Amino acid sequence: MKLTVKIFAAALALAVASGCSKKNDVQIDKEYPVIDISAANAFPKQCSVIKRGESFTFIANVTDNAELGTLGVDVHHNFDHHSHSTEVTECVLSPKKTPVKPFLLVQSYTIPSGLRTYKVNQTINVPADIDPGDYHFLIRLVDKEGWQTIKGISIKIQ
Amino acid sequence: MHTTNLPAQLLRAAVVSFLFCFLSITALAQQSTIHGTVVDANEKPLTHVLVMVADNNLHLYSDSLGHFHFNVAGGATYKMSFSRLGFKPLERVLTVKSAEEHVHVQMKIANNQLSEVQVKDRFADERKQTESMNVEVVSADFIQRNLGGSLMGTLSRLPGIKTIGIGSGQSKPLIRGLGFNRVVVTDKGIKHEGQQWGADHGLELDQFAAGEVELIKGAASFVYGSDAIGGVIDVKPALPPAANATGGFVDLIGKSNNNLLGTSVNVFSRKSNWFFDSRFTYQNYGDYRVPTDTVQVYNYPVTLNNNFLRNTAGRETGLHLNTGYISKNSRSVFYISNVYANSGFFANAHGLEPRRVNTEQYDQSNRDIMLPSQQVNHFKVINRSQLAIGKHLLQADLGYQHNFRQEFSQYVNHGYMPPDYPASMTIPVDLEREFNKKVYSLNLRDKLTLNNHEVTIGFNGEHQDNGISGWGFLVPAFNQTTAGIFAYDKFKLSDKVLLHAALRYDHGKLNTFRYTDWFPTEGENLVRADNLKRNFNSLVWSLGVNYTPNNPFSLKANVGKSFRMPIAKELSANGVNYHYFSYERGNPNLNPEQSYQADLTLAWSTARWNVQLSPFYNYFPNYIYLNPTADLDYLYGAGNQVFNYQESRVSRYGGELQVRYNIASALSVEVLGEYLYAEQLSGDKAGYTLPFSPPPSALFNLTYQPAKAGILISPYLSVDYRITAKQNNIVPPERETPGYHVWNIQAGAKLRAGSRLLNFSLQVQNVLNTRYLNHTSFYRLISLPEAGRNIILSVKVPFGRSNSQ
Repeated sequence: MKLTVKIFAAALALAVASGCSKKNDVQIDKEYPVIDISAANAFPKQCSVIKRGESFTFIANVTDNAELGTLGVDVHHNFDHHSHSTEVTECVLSPKKTPVKPFLLVQSYTIPSGLRTYKVNQTINVPADIDPGDYHFLIRLVDKEGWQTIKGISIKIQ
Repeated sequence: MHTTNLPAQLLRAAVVSFLFCFLSITALAQQSTIHGTVVDANEKPLTHVLVMVADNNLHLYSDSLGHFHFNVAGGATYKMSFSRLGFKPLERVLTVKSAEEHVHVQMKIANNQLSEVQVKDRFADERKQTESMNVEVVSADFIQRNLGGSLMGTLSRLPGIKTIGIGSGQSKPLIRGLGFNRVVVTDKGIKHEGQQWGADHGLELDQFAAGEVELIKGAASFVYGSDAIGGVIDVKPALPPAANATGGFVDLIGKSNNNLLGTSVNVFSRKSNWFFDSRFTYQNYGDYRVPTDTVQVYNYPVTLNNNFLRNTAGRETGLHLNTGYISKNSRSVFYISNVYANSGFFANAHGLEPRRVNTEQYDQSNRDIMLPSQQVNHFKVINRSQLAIGKHLLQADLGYQHNFRQEFSQYVNHGYMPPDYPASMTIPVDLEREFNKKVYSLNLRDKLTLNNHEVTIGFNGEHQDNGISGWGFLVPAFNQTTAGIFAYDKFKLSDKVLLHAALRYDHGKLNTFRYTDWFPTEGENLVRADNLKRNFNSLVWSLGVNYTPNNPFSLKANVGKSFRMPIAKELSANGVNYHYFSYERGNPNLNPEQSYQADLTLAWSTARWNVQLSPFYNYFPNYIYLNPTADLDYLYGAGNQVFNYQESRVSRYGGELQVRYNIASALSVEVLGEYLYAEQLSGDKAGYTLPFSPPPSALFNLTYQPAKAGILISPYLSVDYRITAKQNNIVPPERETPGYHVWNIQAGAKLRAGSRLLNFSLQVQNVLNTRYLNHTSFYRLISLPEAGRNIILSVKVPFGRSNSQ
């Protein structure tokens, strides 16, 4: 009887102790990387307009608390208004239309290893023969630990 | 009765002080003690027998040894009544002559038409005492009292059980933080096979058809085979009706939050040997409401119309027919069922992907189901037969299941998909995914009783054919065959000690089929999955002990190895899951996942106290984990983040604590607590936890349950207060989830209407309409709060000639 009570108490103590014990925490990264397009020269921004047959420079500032991973850009049409941006403000959309030759760009950019901040400065060519209209400019940023941040910006190609 | 020790002293002090209250009222001159023992027909002690002394206004329960005692005035005559569910009530008249009186009471099993059900109730206690694993048995009564949006939702009140849910009607079980293919759900003896791997749909089970649910927390592969790593949820059908009974029940259900209206109609009949038991369930619900008017999809504010979560309405039907032959030594029963559900997904975000919505069109009705949506149909035919010959009990379960699931969504040309859906496609434009699964199962068992041994040898075999369709691709078509044999010995060493040993061998074969994209990527149609053949072998074991000395204490311990065959998705996924912006890449070289687990259950049970502590430790040498990497894939991934299936070492521990104290015969308090810690010890995410790790939580309950109150028969009023801690232990792509407090109320009673008893149940969930996030909800990643206040009313109306309930 005494023994059983001891077992019970020991197990309870163990359970409580294991529940409360702070382990020698290896500091794990729990922060998402940040895509910053608030700078005055950042481009494109929400509702920016881009011209066909010209090139523009994608400028943004990306940061992470630990280490940056990879950056990607995906430009696709939103002629069917299928989705909205991730931003607070909405842009005025042109009427829905059927795509004929919409612009499509899927591109990833390697960020040199070991960086916590990186200034994106990439030239993107927009062919002259693509459909003008509403597009999404989707930026994906992954840090070394696999945290992904997405920013979906509505743009217009004229 | 007890030797001196602290808990016993405390207990005695509590009992004595409680009794003192009564005694001081009756102001006795001379005192006697009545000692009693209640036993069953086999002289086994009966616990939880309600002992009432009418003249003394005294209520008591017998303890785990069947003992009870109380003090009375000497020289007087007392009428004592004894009652316990499943037994014939008894009365005894005793004239107290000496200072110590002893009473021996033998109770007989009630022989009315409900006897089978009631015997089952006693069986549940016995099951817990003779099983070395952590077993919980839940009755249909519990389900009615705590009715949730789905069977798994209902069960999540139990400590250690959580759900991964989507919407108001779909959820999957999480046992101690493990879910998906790491939990086995069996329905009528056959493993339920659907699309267990997905977080955005539920299990195709009708909770009204569940007679009893048995939950095993912990590794149970040695009986249930592959996948039973986290635990088992064994859903049992209602017991066959008693002989010469014809009747049924009509259940009516209403829920205020999603305006659910539902009914379940049950009709059964039995002559002597032949019976049938049929059921029809229909539920129709609208969009559910959350305590917020704006939801942030990233930074984009989505406004909700009157708190309704757009397009989350649904319909469910269930058709069941159980029929068969029962005799003294044999039975053979067919179970035929079809469960269908159609429900919408929140329209403003499909997974993590923001979607533009024509709010005017979507908000016209809260009951319509528009895109995106899902439909699932699950058809089953099962035969369970058994035959008792001498010392053998032979059992055979034979099953066929057809699970057909479709996911509908507007065509969106993600990545390199053509901007316009080609007219030449034979797949409908709104069919994003389709899974077509056919499963054939066979279980054979021989239970042999030899002296102190109870030996079970068995075989489980299963074959699956899986087809796919839809314009989206996640998992290739595959077929798989598994077979396992096991031997399990339960050895009764003494009256106090029961030993368990089991060994099992499994072989599995899996073939996946080649899948090529229907559209070109940079000029070429990519091969997403190739033909792959894999064979798996596994040897698992389990050892256990039950120690039940003749005192309120009992102990059980279990150590075992469990396994899980990698699923087709883990081996050969190679597609983009746009709902998560993830490119999921399988690993064809994965080995069967292995898990070692140690479980301990300590219990202390007296008439007043019921304490159970169940810690566990679990180690995986190769937990299969979908790891989000630092890469984006340009070609196969169409620019999305690469998620790789990897193996990592994982350590997990935790446990549950259940404490119940009967303050008075009709009043009890209960605390249910749970804690879980998981850590990846190797791989890219070493130091991180596992996805969907539930935070610690505690549920405090107060229940008032008198035998009668005016015209109310067996009324109850019960308040649950659940505190859930914050969860800061996360892994990509999860988010930290703040803690919360939620109140729930359950009340109900039976009312006599003529010769029948109507059973009313009322529940108020989330009484204060608290806005909170559930860490294990599918919608957590887009920060959708859980459902607001929900009032649930259900009525059970019996009809027919079998109305003893």
